[in-house]
Amino acid sequence: MILESFNDAAKRSIYSLQEFFALAGKAIGFIFVKPFYAGDLFQQMDAIGVGSLGIVLLTGFFTGMVLALQSAVQLQTFGATDYIGSLIAGSMIRELGPVLAGLMVAGRVGSGIAAQLGSMRVTEQIDALNTLGTDPIKKLVTPRVLASLIMLPVLTVINDFVGILGGSIIAKFYLGKPASLYWRTVFEQMLSGGFTLHYIPNDFIQGLTKPFVFGGIISLVACYHGLKTTGGTEGVGNATTRTVVSASILILVVDYFLTQIILAVFQP
Amino acid sequence: MSDDEDRRGKDERRHPSEKDETAMPRRAHDSGRVRAAIRTELEEVAESTAELQARTGVGHGEKVITLENISLAFEDPILENVSFYAKSGDTVVVVGESGTGKSTILKLLLRLLIPDKGRVLIDGEDITGLTFDEALKVRQKMGMVFQGAALFDSMTVYENVAYPLREHTVLSEDAIEARVREKLQFVDLEPDRVMDQMPSELSGGMKKRVGIARGLANNPEIMLYDEPTSGLDPLTTATITYLILKLQRELGVTSIVVSHDIRSAFRMGSKIALLANRRIGFFGTPEEMTGSDDPYIREFLGGF
Repeated sequence: MILESFNDAAKRSIYSLQEFFALAGKAIGFIFVKPFYAGDLFQQMDAIGVGSLGIVLLTGFFTGMVLALQSAVQLQTFGATDYIGSLIAGSMIRELGPVLAGLMVAGRVGSGIAAQLGSMRVTEQIDALNTLGTDPIKKLVTPRVLASLIMLPVLTVINDFVGILGGSIIAKFYLGKPASLYWRTVFEQMLSGGFTLHYIPNDFIQGLTKPFVFGGIISLVACYHGLKTTGGTEGVGNATTRTVVSASILILVVDYFLTQIILAVFQP
Repeated sequence: MSDDEDRRGKDERRHPSEKDETAMPRRAHDSGRVRAAIRTELEEVAESTAELQARTGVGHGEKVITLENISLAFEDPILENVSFYAKSGDTVVVVGESGTGKSTILKLLLRLLIPDKGRVLIDGEDITGLTFDEALKVRQKMGMVFQGAALFDSMTVYENVAYPLREHTVLSEDAIEARVREKLQFVDLEPDRVMDQMPSELSGGMKKRVGIARGLANNPEIMLYDEPTSGLDPLTTATITYLILKLQRELGVTSIVVSHDIRSAFRMGSKIALLANRRIGFFGTPEEMTGSDDPYIREFLGGF
């Protein structure tokens, strides 16, 4: 009996995974196939990018400040407070910027996508698209995935910048370090990790690959749960919750493995 | 005071603990009278529909839609050996109790589902083996009106009706606007008043009418309706029934209507397909249905 239910659960999980990757494959494949829904793409870029700007600015700025405060205490012990800019830049660009932007967008945009597509599913709007001769994946999923792939790296760069800016305020007013010293250490840090193709700092490769992958994870997980919604308004709520939980966990897990891979490939 | 009012007064005065020995037989007697009255009404409607359709020559053309020995099961069987057809200009109403798989038939016709056995023919072409892209093309021959209208709630009424035109035609924006206005007028809506409204601002009946206009936008040969009159007041139900009849008579569109509203079914249907126990229990004209001696059909008609 237990073995049977375990077997059923395993089959369901494998089937769900298969469906998820089929959706991902189609959605990404449709990026290169006509018709292109440019209007939908720009609308989604606006909703995902511009719409998330406020929370990304706030979280980035305060994370940078609190990181600087905590680090200052540690660095003071070793008399190394001159390197605060280096520490903030390294942490924000490689790790905190992408992960924080990813988690914020998963909460704000992922839940929104799941709720919107879930509502469309339960009110038969997805079936209506099908009957009107439109592939719902092409019309609804592809623009959301592409917009997330483009906008999450942009949001991450903004997040990194305001985080480093927040750190500079603490460096100036808490540690009394001149701004020129802080920004010089920031740029030294960016260039210290080596280069790819002679010009691209490896920190940037790491800092931009992650949000690109996270953007794909958030949008695909949200679209998958949204399109699979059943059971009316309660189902929409469940799809939203499942999206935020699974996208957040996936971001953290994938972040670890991505870091391992990037370090192995791009470590000078 | 009439006899009925007198009797009712006595019933109300009786203490609840007093057993009413006559209650059950009277209810059964009343129920029998109601059923007989309903059957008479349906017979009258069936006769007038038959007369009208004989005059307009509905359902004498080629078979446009054919379901041949369709069987479908998910975890449990849904449909078993279901067969019926619709000739050009026919309006076939699929009736049956709730949960008997009526809406599944529409999904099979749209090839949103593929049957386990049997064939679905549209204009003589078997659509069961088509690829997804080929199925999208076949769907362009059809207009579908959903139970809840399924209007895109992020678009205005104009954008909803224009959607299939923008998606599948190369018409200019002026031509699209002219077509949208024509279709909205056909469903008795004032284009200037409703075109810029969002679906959330419309009443249930108006949403259904916009849904019909959107279904009609591409001038389809086939219209499919899923419970077009469910959840509507009697007046709006009559309006929607009238619109479906108007489509049949003025445009000669072949229609499949899924409904549990037998009165409307008899008014609009040139043929009725009764789905019972996963099979087609009856397929014929409303007149033939009211004349049937089959106990299930008589029970089903009396139940309304």
